[in-house]
Amino acid sequence: MRPRGKAEGRLWLRALEILQELSFCDCTILSMSQRGEHQESKKKLEISPSETMKAEEESYKEENKEPKSEDWRPPSVFGAADLKNRAVGLYNIGQTCCLNSLLQVFFMNIHFTKILRRISVPVCGTQKKKNVPYQMLLLLEKMQCGKQKAVSPKELAICLVAHGVTMFVQYDAAQLFLTLWNLLKKQMKNPELVEKLSDLYTISVQEHLTCQTCSSETKRNSSMLTLPVSLLDSDSHMLKTLEECLQCFFRPEELTGHNMCFCEHCGKKTPFQQSVKLVHLPQTLTIHLKRFCFGRSAYIHKISSCLPFPQDLDFNAVLTEQQCQAYDNEKAAWQYELFAVVAHSGSTSYGHYCAYIRSLTECKWYCFNDSLVEQVSWDDVKSTYGHSDLSWGQTAYLLFYMRKHRQ
Amino acid sequence: MAQWQEMQQLPPTHLERVHQLYTNAALPMTVRQSLADWIEDQDWQQAAEPFSSHARMLFHSLLTLLGEQQGSLGPGDEDFMLKHNLRKARIDLQAAFEEHPENFANLVANLLQEERCILRRAQAKGQVETPPAPSTAPQNSQEQEIQQRLAEFRTALQEAERAFRHMEDLQDTFDFSYKMYYMPGQDHSHDPQYAQHVQALQAKLQSLDRQRRILSLQEVVAQIQQLLGRSETLRDFLQQELSAWRERQQRSCLGAPTDTCLLQLQGWFTALGEGLFQLLQLLRAVGELRQKVTYEQDPLQSELPLLEKRLLEQLTCLLQSAFVVEQQPCMPNTPKRPLVLRTANKFCTRARLLVRLHDRNHRMEANIHIDRDPPKTRGFRKFNILTSSSKTVLVGDSPREGLVCDFQYLTLKEQKGGGSGKGSRGTNEGPLAVTEELHLITFTLAYAYCGLELKLETSTLPFVIISNNNQLSSAWASVLWFNMLSPNPKDQQFFSTPPPAPWPRLAEVLSWQFQSTAERGLSREHLHMLAEKLFGSKPSPESALPWTKFSKDGAAGFSFWAWLDGILALLHDHLKQLWKDGLILGFVSRKQERKLLKVKRSGTFLIRFSESMLGGVTCTWVEHPESGPPAFRAVVPYTAAELASLALPDIIRDYQLLAEENIPENPLLFLYPDIARDEAFGPYYSQRHEGILTKKKEYLNQRLIRVSSRQPHETWQTEEELVVATEDLETLQLKSGGQQPVSPGTVPGGGRTPRTPQAVSPGLQQVVAAVPVLPSLQQLGSGDLGVLQTGMGDLGPPVVLQLLQVGPGAQGVLPMGSSAIGPLLGSDAAELLLDNGAVGLQPSGLGELEGLPLQEPALEVGAGQLEAVELLPTLDDSAVLLDSSDPFLPQPEDAALPATASLFTADGDFPALHIDASDFQ
Repeated sequence: MRPRGKAEGRLWLRALEILQELSFCDCTILSMSQRGEHQESKKKLEISPSETMKAEEESYKEENKEPKSEDWRPPSVFGAADLKNRAVGLYNIGQTCCLNSLLQVFFMNIHFTKILRRISVPVCGTQKKKNVPYQMLLLLEKMQCGKQKAVSPKELAICLVAHGVTMFVQYDAAQLFLTLWNLLKKQMKNPELVEKLSDLYTISVQEHLTCQTCSSETKRNSSMLTLPVSLLDSDSHMLKTLEECLQCFFRPEELTGHNMCFCEHCGKKTPFQQSVKLVHLPQTLTIHLKRFCFGRSAYIHKISSCLPFPQDLDFNAVLTEQQCQAYDNEKAAWQYELFAVVAHSGSTSYGHYCAYIRSLTECKWYCFNDSLVEQVSWDDVKSTYGHSDLSWGQTAYLLFYMRKHRQ
Repeated sequence: MAQWQEMQQLPPTHLERVHQLYTNAALPMTVRQSLADWIEDQDWQQAAEPFSSHARMLFHSLLTLLGEQQGSLGPGDEDFMLKHNLRKARIDLQAAFEEHPENFANLVANLLQEERCILRRAQAKGQVETPPAPSTAPQNSQEQEIQQRLAEFRTALQEAERAFRHMEDLQDTFDFSYKMYYMPGQDHSHDPQYAQHVQALQAKLQSLDRQRRILSLQEVVAQIQQLLGRSETLRDFLQQELSAWRERQQRSCLGAPTDTCLLQLQGWFTALGEGLFQLLQLLRAVGELRQKVTYEQDPLQSELPLLEKRLLEQLTCLLQSAFVVEQQPCMPNTPKRPLVLRTANKFCTRARLLVRLHDRNHRMEANIHIDRDPPKTRGFRKFNILTSSSKTVLVGDSPREGLVCDFQYLTLKEQKGGGSGKGSRGTNEGPLAVTEELHLITFTLAYAYCGLELKLETSTLPFVIISNNNQLSSAWASVLWFNMLSPNPKDQQFFSTPPPAPWPRLAEVLSWQFQSTAERGLSREHLHMLAEKLFGSKPSPESALPWTKFSKDGAAGFSFWAWLDGILALLHDHLKQLWKDGLILGFVSRKQERKLLKVKRSGTFLIRFSESMLGGVTCTWVEHPESGPPAFRAVVPYTAAELASLALPDIIRDYQLLAEENIPENPLLFLYPDIARDEAFGPYYSQRHEGILTKKKEYLNQRLIRVSSRQPHETWQTEEELVVATEDLETLQLKSGGQQPVSPGTVPGGGRTPRTPQAVSPGLQQVVAAVPVLPSLQQLGSGDLGVLQTGMGDLGPPVVLQLLQVGPGAQGVLPMGSSAIGPLLGSDAAELLLDNGAVGLQPSGLGELEGLPLQEPALEVGAGQLEAVELLPTLDDSAVLLDSSDPFLPQPEDAALPATASLFTADGDFPALHIDASDFQ
């Protein structure tokens, strides 16, 4: 196996440029894998680049006040989205386990439902049918008011089909999450809500490219919806824990040989050092475990080995000073606890998704398996760490961490 | 009991759920309460089916019943409220569901199901809580968790099966009515319109029905998904428990006192295996049913094979891990040291499949192979298993037995390579010693159950094959090292680069050796001493001992392990009880020993193991002279050879030191810290058989005791001197043959001992004396003395006999002649001490003894000067002199002193004494 990123650096830059032009980006997870040759390396930037630092800064200021004021609201506002009655399942209407799992993760997030409940209802009927946020809200209402054990997400599915999301196919959860999120953002008319939504989910990083010859540095701010961490380090060794994966993600990388970049100051291709620094973390942090790797030939296989992830995650303990680009009060907020796990069982070509979600009001874990919802324990969540001996077993694929309340 | 009644008896936590359930339910609890039995009797599920006329009927019956209930109520205050509520409910329900009674049916069906769910949960909790009550052993939380999860798994599985059966019934009903319509019979064949109508209706029904069934099929599939997820967690738990067991087994192989019972694990594995096999059958049935209702892009088409793959994989993993070696290879004659096998010696090993499920029609055969995949090391010996290597797995009916393949009476034989005859190993020698060469036995089992066929495999821990018993000790060292340190339980190349052992780990394992050999492990102080011996200083947790230093190199000519194993052997053979009861302090460094004894009164002693010789034990005692620092003395270590003839407690009881004061005394008075000797060792003294008077005595009783003497002008040694002195001590051995009778008339013991003092060296010397115990004790005693002293008197070099009397519990010296002994006859035993007087006797002492003249030159002889060569002829001569004509010899008639005769005749248990000159080497 060749080290990662030989050809990646340049590709990555190019990809950034390409993505700037796209307002809607959709990358498949299968493409975000180890070997540079096989990937187009949209490694870092996954959401519409219209998310700029400017918006970020503002929302960031706002954020400090926000929780205080909102925390004072009566708890019923929070509880509304979150198991007010009980957890309700979603019927699998044909390979929709992936959609179902993601929807449950959205709906169980009270910070998200707070936003969703404020959307304006489209006027005409066809618009209603095509409006993803509205359909999601309808579905949420349906789940909450009925006494049914599970409801069918048919209308939402039809709405998604209208936006080019085909049904009855196996989806990659990370990809679908991105698609869904971008649709939501695009169709929320209220700019304030859009901002809140981005604020809730987007991660800000600063990318640095330093020419090793003349030390000139290029910086670029970008936003991401998920932190796509690889399970293998640059020498293709298995990483042992989530923390290691994160460290590996933020580790500077030398671009030499084939990967050298053109330096404007030197006027030629020179070796570069590429690094990513963390600027801001959102309320809901999504980590994407890239459990895929290329074997020999183009065949992709799933990595089912064990990768433990903690219930409590402190980014200050994971990253070094050099890997952050943030003020102290931002850093102080980098205390997270696990909120949800979207787990996948099966192979790359087909499989099944289910979601383990910790109710934010009850602080209990639930397993959402399509129409079945069951209360489970942390041990069940731990079984999604993966087993090297079970290639069909369930493994965590998307991890959602929630920022802890400030004391 | 009716469901609603059961619900009301739930504990508060669950009752809370019931209240929650009805808080916003369209069906008020009042209605549920008042029509409880009727509601439970109806089939709401069926009524909830679309287009069911049943729903309308049920709905209206309910309303009517509510009306009746309302009317039957009296005018009381409470009833008034109830009446009002019922009336309100009736109106509300009518308004809400008149149009769609099937919605109402659905609502009630869901509510009832939810209630059952709450009940089940409560019961599952209850079930888990009840079983631990009778069993007294407190279960740990992990065990409880496993049992609870197994119970939940079972109930969820039953639920899924029930749902599936329901679906199957529906399918059958549909099939039946479908066929009825499809083959309407001749009556309607002439009516095309009717047929058309029927067909249209049929198509509609079919499509509706299909949708519904697909939903419920999906539901079952979701249930199976969920079950699989949960079983993964459960399997994780079992796996953890199993690896904990493996660790326990490994430790118990090393002698740790742990529980290696597999029954509980077997129960759990079987339960999970059973559940998964049931799930597999359910899944297959779902697959069959799916084929009947399949449609394009049916999600189940890809989902079911995935599920089955996932399930089979889990089952395979479960079964693979459930095949374990229950008993590691072990020779029956060395049960405490498994994993060491000797060629041509039989051994046994046993494997067990923890999932106790099997197909009675399928014969399961287990095979064993040795070194199926041998390491490519030069000179690696190859072996054959001589006895049959395959066996049919016996299936016992009781759960205790389980699926076991028990291989007994196996033997190994080395494969001799072609052309390499005896001694060829020299050229073919590998880099590893024989005792570092590790071998494995692999079990394979062809397993088949419910259409699943697997080849299960498991391996024993690596073992060492020896060809001679003297390799046992070092082979065991290898086994210890491997099981203590190897991260990979199958690593046959472990000893190519054996890692060092961290001291805390090693200390624990060493302690187990003592625990398993003599039922008492090593204390902190013991381990501290050992660590100091190994590491030279205070051990830190990071201290680690290399393999070579443990098993190969040693300053004293033997390795640390050889030394320790020598002690273990000694403990096992001779000192087990004393060690177990904590009378042996054992591992005490000299420094520590002094520190301990310094503050104790004179005569305080402790028993410790010799550091300078293999398998030796010695006593050290303290004496406080009137002036000067306290002195510490130790006797030459006793080894197995000595202890075989005389047990350590007896040695301690009778030990004598011949001091300057001429009075031989036992310096061992108090066992450290402060226990009177006889109190500490009393229970271990060999029987004295006092007072048994029934049988006529035929032989002399004999008793061996040990004596040390001090040099005539020896000053109290300083501590350092003592060390040297003790190191140089030599032992004289005396063995009791016990065959040759010694008759009262002859002179036993003394007469045959002359060649004893062959070597004399400075310091303390111990000699064994044979003590004939006879009715005519005093006569014999004095006679002996006389004879010997005569001999001494003639020939100069000193052999002195002392006669002394030891009363029970008290000691006294009895030096005088026969008349003097007379009064002491009442006491039960008398002992005769033979000592090499040349080494330490003072003239005055001799004088006191018999008043016979002693020659000064002999007494002047220093220890260093005294040569064995010189001694020998002398003593031989003295032997010659032992003659019945000697005036000092007792006459046979004298042997019959009535009082004592009655005391001793019965004492037949004392073995007759035979002292062979050849024993004194």
